[in-house]
Amino acid sequence: MVTRLATAGVMRFGLFVMTGLLLFLVATPAFALEENVYRQFMGLDSRRLVWFLAQMHLFFGAFVLGVPLFAVIIEVVGWRSEDSKFDNLAYEFTSLLSVAYATTAALGGLLAFALFTLYPTFMGYMAGIFKDIMFMYALLFFGETFCLYLYYYGWKWLKSGQPFPPISRWIFKALSIILATFGLALLAGYVGPEMRTDTRWFIILLYILPVVIGLWIIQGRKTTHIFIGILLNVFGTAIMQLANIWAGFMMCPTSVDADGSFIGTVCQAFENILATPIAIHRMLGNLAFGGLVAGSYAAVKFISAKTQEERAHYDWMGYISNFVAIAALIPLPFAGYYLGREVYSTSAVMGNNMMGGDFSWTFIIQAMLVGSLFLISNYYLWSGMTRIPGAERYYKFIKWILLALILSLAIWLTPHNLPLSSLEVGEMGGSQYHPVLKFLGLMPAKNAVVNLIILATFFSFLLYRRGNMKEPVSIRQQGKGPRITIIIVGALAIAMVAQYAWVMLNMDPAELDLPADRAQYIRTIGYALVVECVVGVLAIILALMDRGKLGQGLYLAATALNVTGFLGVYGFVVMEKASPVLRNVAVSQFLQLISCLILVTVIDIFLFKRAKSLGKMQWGNMSSRSQYALLLLTFVITMNMGLMGFIRSGLRGDWHIFGVMRDTSQWAGTPSNFVMTQQVSAAVLLFMIGTAFMFWLGSIANSEREE
Amino acid sequence: MNSPITRVFGFLLVVLGVYLWIGYSITALTGSGDEAAAVVEITPEGGEVIYWGKGRCFTCHSVGGQGSAVRGPNHGQFGEKFQQSMGARAVERALARTKKEGVEFTAVDYVVESLASPGAFVVEGYKNEMAVVYAPPISLNLKEIKAVTAYLMSLGGDLDMEAIDTAPSEITKKLYSKIAAAAEAGGGDPELGAEVFEDNCVECHSLGEDDGEIGPNLSGIAASGLKFISESILAPTKSLTKGYETYVVINNEGRQFIGLKTRDADGEVDITNALGDVETITKSDIKEIRIDDTLSIMPDDISEVLTVKEYQDVLSFLMLQKPAEEE
Repeated sequence: MVTRLATAGVMRFGLFVMTGLLLFLVATPAFALEENVYRQFMGLDSRRLVWFLAQMHLFFGAFVLGVPLFAVIIEVVGWRSEDSKFDNLAYEFTSLLSVAYATTAALGGLLAFALFTLYPTFMGYMAGIFKDIMFMYALLFFGETFCLYLYYYGWKWLKSGQPFPPISRWIFKALSIILATFGLALLAGYVGPEMRTDTRWFIILLYILPVVIGLWIIQGRKTTHIFIGILLNVFGTAIMQLANIWAGFMMCPTSVDADGSFIGTVCQAFENILATPIAIHRMLGNLAFGGLVAGSYAAVKFISAKTQEERAHYDWMGYISNFVAIAALIPLPFAGYYLGREVYSTSAVMGNNMMGGDFSWTFIIQAMLVGSLFLISNYYLWSGMTRIPGAERYYKFIKWILLALILSLAIWLTPHNLPLSSLEVGEMGGSQYHPVLKFLGLMPAKNAVVNLIILATFFSFLLYRRGNMKEPVSIRQQGKGPRITIIIVGALAIAMVAQYAWVMLNMDPAELDLPADRAQYIRTIGYALVVECVVGVLAIILALMDRGKLGQGLYLAATALNVTGFLGVYGFVVMEKASPVLRNVAVSQFLQLISCLILVTVIDIFLFKRAKSLGKMQWGNMSSRSQYALLLLTFVITMNMGLMGFIRSGLRGDWHIFGVMRDTSQWAGTPSNFVMTQQVSAAVLLFMIGTAFMFWLGSIANSEREE
Repeated sequence: MNSPITRVFGFLLVVLGVYLWIGYSITALTGSGDEAAAVVEITPEGGEVIYWGKGRCFTCHSVGGQGSAVRGPNHGQFGEKFQQSMGARAVERALARTKKEGVEFTAVDYVVESLASPGAFVVEGYKNEMAVVYAPPISLNLKEIKAVTAYLMSLGGDLDMEAIDTAPSEITKKLYSKIAAAAEAGGGDPELGAEVFEDNCVECHSLGEDDGEIGPNLSGIAASGLKFISESILAPTKSLTKGYETYVVINNEGRQFIGLKTRDADGEVDITNALGDVETITKSDIKEIRIDDTLSIMPDDISEVLTVKEYQDVLSFLMLQKPAEEE
């Protein structure tokens, strides 16, 4: 049964790739100023049809790309800790992919059919520019397909065995060194000297580095299997990046002349400004989404479990899934800020439309959804504390964390202004703004509370981690390893802040089109960062002196005060006196937060590494309510993905390619938020039905195999 | 009914119901989505359609209590800050502009200038960040800009359609010509284009009386049309100007000289290369001299040097270089 499914999947996939290529070959290259041709299928609204298909393809694609990212990490954890429980979990996660992969390919084929047949002029233009990339895209699919099926079906085969002979291992190491050298040459600019910095880092960190590590660790069958998993992710990420390049180009076309003719190279089109920000945002989104969809699988299994053993297993699976999702959710707002910033840099018209035009209300819905994600994740963690003996010591903190989350969420949701009646304006003293709330609607306030939400979530996680641990253990007595690790990781985290402090202390205001007398606003950020670095160093020293908890508390408090208190308020001053510096405030807040999360986590790991336990984790002792929270997280993130897709795509207004090819069809224009919720709801419902069906198919295959 | 899967999907339907309700409520509060642009007439009504639609003016401006944007000045009567609507306010702003420039501005001149060169006279307290409305993605054409002007002037002011459309003042006429040139060139800004020209073209080309050192004088180049100018920049060999052909000279020693023939007298030929260096070659030393129409000493990698925006800016600037009689 399993083999039949796989074969059918591969055949279906191959068929759709071939169809896509065939469509591409018969498509006639078109030019932007040609009259656009539009067609309909069975009298349907072509725009909504393509929107729906694209959304479905993206949902399944996000799941297929997200799950292998953490499946490989969990497999590595199992391999290093020699705990087969993790290996089995990674395998179970991967088993969810098999049917989803074929469905993604089928939907991709359907989307390509729809685009080429309903929007032939637009697709002709795109094919004319991206013909090389389109071929590469199709070829990468083959790589991903082979890796996925080898990874899944080769799991047992490559699970154990004799190590490879030394000569083979040295060959892999040599290949690793060659690739690392190439990576260094790319980093130094000897290779691809004209490449954009963000593209260069994306390639080094997400393609070259994982493969270098994968080749280096190959010793036998298991590590070869891990390497295949790494390759699977590299192919998947590359496919996602190429598709994002098209989306980025449609928003930010580069090298197009006044006639709409493309005058650049495929590399210039590849490196459009938005390509990498979209790819980073989508990758983190996929990871969170993949984690939560897998979590919903665990939740349904938990709810329908017949035995305590089953409940324990799916409880644990749900916990890991939520953990993965939170890890990806934490940096996601910053990736979103980076993307939004680049959208604004690309076009002030798009930027204004995003935050103050057609999509301002859509962003309020988005804030509701993202805020709910953090709130529900925290609730799930707090519910999980009931299964940890000793965690009741920390219950007293929950109400304060909840208060911080709700207040932050309320501020995040506050709009700068709303359409008001003249009576309401009169009641507010003739102003369109509320005297107090107007400040909460501005970006500095929102940046401050987003950071506080993340810090509060992180604090919940720390409490959860320490739930059943008695007292911290002496780091000094753990040997050199922990101390060296804390120093190195801490130094790297602090260096991240310090380099930006240096930038802020030396930046010429002219770089931001500001007069020289505004330098003080940039320098102040630098001084705040220096203070953060000093406290970071102090935290490391305290940890090495066995006062780790104090060090952690100090660094967390300093970060909260600096990021949310000082820079949150200072953001208003900057906005008034030197508004371009506001971006630097946001970057500095992000760097301090990430540095804090890294350093506090690494101290925490060693602080409680061999701490005495107050009792074993009682997996399975969770309320059904907590499982519905897990399901709600999945529903909310899926709705949010649909909403964000609507914003990103809708920002182009009535342009297929922003500023180059206008949408002259009868469906041009920006749909209302109600239309958006209708479209997204329909896609979410169908996706969930499809997912439930896929999981059911997977369970049939698993039960057949077990028998 | 009590199976886990039924409960999960029941829960999903409730969540989606809430989501739909939020979407419905917000749409009921803010109105439905934007329709695509329609063809308009040069009337205040036509301008209103553009203002609240294709022109996207409402993204940054409001009109009194209509709209909620605050990034740009309110165009209606609103609070203490905006005691007059735009039409009446434009008269006062035009007086201030006249005082500053020493040239007489009418209210229509002021409004048209705000659209054609938004950075020229920014309202105090607001940033110089208004989008170029005749460039993509807004891409208003001249007719639509006239319609928006009519709409703004109709807001509490004296509407003079002749001053807007059929008999504009010299200032407005000049601004209209700038908008038309820029719109034709894909929306570039001629003022920025002048800077691009200064940075990239003046080494070889000139404007006005003097001839270019190496390339042709570009005064009146607009008469050659957008296509010719565009082609001359992107593929210089396709549209060589007479008198500026590229010569290839090979002397008796086999040395090759490529460039313009800038002098041919006294038994000598001067060949000026792309860098402006002049080589004088005695005619008796020349083994071969020919015009090579596949070569141009103008760089053919200009599209890599200029960004698309700079290219459009310089195109719009060149589209304003009309022959003297047309000016």
